[in-house]
Amino acid sequence: MRTKLHTVAAAGAAALLLASCGSGESGGGGDSAASGGLTGEGSGESCTIEGEVPLGAVLSLTGAAASYGESQQRGLELAAGELAEQDGVTYDLTIEDDQTDPRQAITLFEQFVSDGASLIIGPTLSNAAVQADPIAQEAGVPVLGISNTAAGVTEIGDYIFRDSLTEQAVIPQTIAQATEQFGLEDVVVMYSNDDAFTESGYEAFAAALEEEGVTVSETITFSKSDTDFRALLTQAQESDPDALVVSALIEAAVPLVTQARELGIDVPIIGGNGFNNPTLMADAGEAAEGVVVGAAWNSSSDNPENQAFLEAYEAEYGAQPDQFAAQAYTGLKLVDQAVRANCSAERDSIQEALGQIEDVPTVLGEFSIDENRDADHPAVVQVVENGAFAVLE
Amino acid sequence: MLGQYATTLTFIALGAIFAYSFYAVLIAGQLSLGQAGFASLAAFSGAYLAPSGDDVGDVAALLIAVAIGMSVGAIGAVVLGLPTMHLRGVFLAIATLGFAEAVRVVLLNQEWTGGAQGLGVPRVLTVGMAWTALALVAYWFWRMGRSRYGRALEAIREDELAARSMGIDVGRHRLAAFVTAGAVAGLYGVLYAYYVRLIAPNDFDFVAAVEGLVTAVVGGSTMFLGPLLGSGFQTIVPEIQRAVGVEAGWIRPFLAGLLLLVVILFLPGGLASLLPRRTRMPSGAADDDDTTGLAGRRHPAAGEPVITLAGLGKEYGGVHAVRGVDLEIRAGEVVGLIGPNGAGKTTLVNMISGLVPPSSGSATVLGTAIGSTPVHRIAAAGVSRTFQHSKLFNRLSALENVLVGAHLVSRPTFLRRLLWLPSARRDERAALRQAARCLERVGLTDLAASRAEALSYGDQRRLEIARALASDPSLLILDEPAAGMNHVEAGRLSELIRSLALDGLTILFIEHNVGMVLQTCTRVVVLNFGEVIASGTPDQVAADPAVIEAYLGSADDDADGGPLAGSPRAGATAAGAEAAPPDAVANLRPGAAGTLDTPDSTPRDAT
Repeated sequence: MRTKLHTVAAAGAAALLLASCGSGESGGGGDSAASGGLTGEGSGESCTIEGEVPLGAVLSLTGAAASYGESQQRGLELAAGELAEQDGVTYDLTIEDDQTDPRQAITLFEQFVSDGASLIIGPTLSNAAVQADPIAQEAGVPVLGISNTAAGVTEIGDYIFRDSLTEQAVIPQTIAQATEQFGLEDVVVMYSNDDAFTESGYEAFAAALEEEGVTVSETITFSKSDTDFRALLTQAQESDPDALVVSALIEAAVPLVTQARELGIDVPIIGGNGFNNPTLMADAGEAAEGVVVGAAWNSSSDNPENQAFLEAYEAEYGAQPDQFAAQAYTGLKLVDQAVRANCSAERDSIQEALGQIEDVPTVLGEFSIDENRDADHPAVVQVVENGAFAVLE
Repeated sequence: MLGQYATTLTFIALGAIFAYSFYAVLIAGQLSLGQAGFASLAAFSGAYLAPSGDDVGDVAALLIAVAIGMSVGAIGAVVLGLPTMHLRGVFLAIATLGFAEAVRVVLLNQEWTGGAQGLGVPRVLTVGMAWTALALVAYWFWRMGRSRYGRALEAIREDELAARSMGIDVGRHRLAAFVTAGAVAGLYGVLYAYYVRLIAPNDFDFVAAVEGLVTAVVGGSTMFLGPLLGSGFQTIVPEIQRAVGVEAGWIRPFLAGLLLLVVILFLPGGLASLLPRRTRMPSGAADDDDTTGLAGRRHPAAGEPVITLAGLGKEYGGVHAVRGVDLEIRAGEVVGLIGPNGAGKTTLVNMISGLVPPSSGSATVLGTAIGSTPVHRIAAAGVSRTFQHSKLFNRLSALENVLVGAHLVSRPTFLRRLLWLPSARRDERAALRQAARCLERVGLTDLAASRAEALSYGDQRRLEIARALASDPSLLILDEPAAGMNHVEAGRLSELIRSLALDGLTILFIEHNVGMVLQTCTRVVVLNFGEVIASGTPDQVAADPAVIEAYLGSADDDADGGPLAGSPRAGATAAGAEAAPPDAVANLRPGAAGTLDTPDSTPRDAT
């Protein structure tokens, strides 16, 4: 019996500990949501909302996807800084790190939901989105994905939006244009099959190649942690393809491209979204020349929003932005657009306004949200020329 | 207020269940990383094979998936365990890690698992269900703790060889622990799947395995609440950092890592070492001679052969440690084995107790042929021993050490303890009484709650004897029991041995304290260079010129006192033993034993 009491006491102590460390977090956003301070007067630029609009962002700032999360953080902070200079609406943006761990993403979503966030941005990875977005959906909190490209994310429910083009939107365009440009007849496809993102990219490539009538003479898989591709590339070389089609993350893309050129493979290399990163040119150098990448963001676009973004980013961080930063920046700007449209930061109001976004000029080009709550804007097929992405024409 | 923390609480429960799957084997001293593989197999097969919640109801679907998952985990553990159970330490870790990695790669390449993109699973698990499952798992390990099975696992962890010598079938116990780990890991896998909505093979990778291991170790792998504390710690640290406003980014994992380091440095036993550990001592148990609840043992009648060695030899790469030893020891004898260092004494008793297989000759001990018989079988036949260098279960209390010694005579209690059957309580009390009697017999009652490693050297030697006695052996082998004892202690030990002999116990002991040997034994066997050079009563041996030349090292041919005086340690003992002739067993009066060796009135079944 004494042992039993002892156990109960220990469990009780643990519960108390939990309660005491949690109690500091409550309140805040929830209160302002309850008081109705999130609806203002006016519309568009004249909209004035009294209370601070609480926004949450769940990014992978540490762990495997940290390189993407950091770019996204910069994009969001840049946009938040610019929004802070506008009158009328004040945003309280909380960026949290999910450590590339779905359990953390789920916990953070629960936390933002219960803290009264008007909208949640993120999470960085598509698999985390599939796990965490349902929480927001069930609670009626709108979510704006800024980098989820896997199919099915927005099918979770009518509160889930994204401003990132899916692989299925970008890749067919890439393949179509590359086929036309290079007269592709047969290709070798390589992809890392242990990553959700690259695997779904592969599926999109395979479908697009079939659509275009290009023969796939060989499909070679590798692991996302591989760095030596010489044997695989030699194997690919044997079938003398017109191009290499590769779905890989940037960590694998750089050595793969470098080693392919070393082995004398000088056919075009067509990459998925993972290649869409300035690191490719920085690290692969000469070898990156001629790599074709389909992208949601045309970094060399001369539309005024993009030029302003490039300039501001460069000034703030002293580096070139990548697509993740551009999409994050655009995301927060779109949220502002949606809040001002109805001049309300209530969850349902934002949800309604996001769904109606149409032909908004953004960094990504003319931007609309389609009926499936997916992004709709022109994709671009780029080719690396002289160490920079240029539009493939 | 609970609702707000439901997610955190659920992840604490899930993390703790996974940590328990590591605890299940760590408690038996096994370092395995295969649990990630078991969890992965279980999660995918459970989620894939279980019927949809729409057909049978969500909870029913979850329960079916749990049943499938735990079975898959357990079967996986048997399949992996059979070929790997002989591996130890880091080798087992690598082998099991290889398994987990193989599972991950296979599942990645299967169609039905959805590959890297994973398998969608409905969310069914609630915080209540997670904690119910955790409570059941914790209950299981709590009830295991003070059962015979639980003690045996701890003994294996502390000293595998000693555990074998106490009659514990180490292979079977290790496999059982491994299968438990597999089933618990399977439970975790399924519960996790039914909470996070999407599982991918990469969720159960090397990092996940290490995290489970770290959680178990940080919490403490020797106490059943450890995994729960560890999981609470691991899950709450990021929460606290968020709450106090540590900026998101690299600083958080850095602080978490630092905190982990501090815990491991200052609490090597894990967080659970902060909780007090009590050792129960049955009140007045030692006075109670009730032996119900203990398995009865049949002892050979006086004069029956106990050990029969014929031409027994052991060769190590051309070196004959023991050669051609013919020896018969009969029940009731107290045989001293003496000889110079390197004479092969320990090798000989190691062969007799089954630790070392002989290279030639044959031997029968208590009706069991040695050679291919495993150590625990020989122990089960009634052989119990101590070791030249104490092989105690260091982190267990003195009482627990002796309880492990009683493994062979106590009944399995774990499953009955799970059900709180009164008979289990009775059996445990019987084992406790037996242990308390043995402790009292060697005079360690007051130190019953001390950790074995905290005892003085002499007390450790006595504790080893108590542990050996607890199995109610027919043959007791003592390897240098008096080493390091002063002459008073050695004298008491001698009295103890004689009192044990009076109870009908056959004793074979190695000792350098020749005075004590001559005074205690009914027969002395002298080994030199692996061969028996003399055997006979203490008088005969002490007078044997060959013995004097080879070992006693004195030309003085005074048969009674000479050889004893030649040994500095022996001299003092001999002086104290003047009253008793060398073959003192016959003269021993029970009253002479003092506090140390109250004659055991336990009826020994000699028929």
